Amino acid sequence: MNIILKVILAVYNFFVGDLVILLGVTLLMVVLALIHFLGALAPLRGGSGIILIVGVLATLVATLGREVMRPENKQKA
Amino acid sequence: MPWAIVIAAFLASAVEFVEAFTLVLVAGITVNWRSAIVGALAAVATLAVIVATLGVALVTLIPLKVLRFVIGFLLLLFGLKWLKNAIQRYSGLKFLHDEEAIYTTNLAQARARGEPVKTGLDTFGVLLSYKSVLLEGLEVAFIVISFGGSGAGGLGLAALGAAAAGLLVIGVGALVQAPLQRIPENTLKFIVGIMLTTFGTFWSGESFGITWPFSDLFLLLLAALYLVASVLLITAITRRKPREALATTILQASILSQKKEVRS
Repeated sequence: MNIILKVILAVYNFFVGDLVILLGVTLLMVVLALIHFLGALAPLRGGSGIILIVGVLATLVATLGREVMRPENKQKA
Repeated sequence: MPWAIVIAAFLASAVEFVEAFTLVLVAGITVNWRSAIVGALAAVATLAVIVATLGVALVTLIPLKVLRFVIGFLLLLFGLKWLKNAIQRYSGLKFLHDEEAIYTTNLAQARARGEPVKTGLDTFGVLLSYKSVLLEGLEVAFIVISFGGSGAGGLGLAALGAAAAGLLVIGVGALVQAPLQRIPENTLKFIVGIMLTTFGTFWSGESFGITWPFSDLFLLLLAALYLVASVLLITAITRRKPREALATTILQASILSQKKEVRS
């Protein structure tokens, strides 16, 4: 169990190492998949590109925001 | 007509080769050339096996959309991580990374201990180079099969055009890599973060059927957009710091004066 956890952690740290980025990008892909595959969301398909770019930027802002709010970074200021 | 096939395959493949070579260059300069070359060669070997096994049936059997999605998703994760670190360094949230100083210190320490110097493979470098060459190489194979599928030696002519494009891009890249290595490491990592995020957005978008305006040229617009956004974020964080410092000082001063009042 311990080894499995270590492997998962190593893979996570190698690919992302940041939960906000992982959640943000995954959520973005889910939203795009829903827009792409669900007929009810077909009118949104034209704006998929903008949704993707805005989502990427929002993820970047969110993860940097978390870093800025960290107590040790507040002290640095 | 035969020349039309060669030129069309040359131009279309050149775009794909430039995209692949850019990321190999990135891996070579920021990680090490050994990892970048091993990754690229491994991808070429994989491609050779795939093309030799599947041949023309490649177009129908390999789901390019799935491949684009997986690689785009991973590049977005890598890219955002690099971009975040670069923005943190430029805005002062993290110390600037002086790779040369670290390398010199490690080298001196290793020599003092009598240890061999590590110049081995780096997983990130190999993987970045491998997946970009594999994806773009598959796209080149698709181009060759599509353009050369008209018969009458078309496949050979299209392959000739693609090979010429590949040689040209590698030749130009070899000339370009030397001046690129003089760019400071933090600047280079910042550019790499933008590039990985750009390619990640582009490919994952294509996997969901998004048709980008101006086709592959949109990569430049996307990179410019991410660059502007990153510079704005750096400015915002840098400006925020002095204001927070002032607020903290005022708060500490008021607490101190309150304490004094209580004592008196």
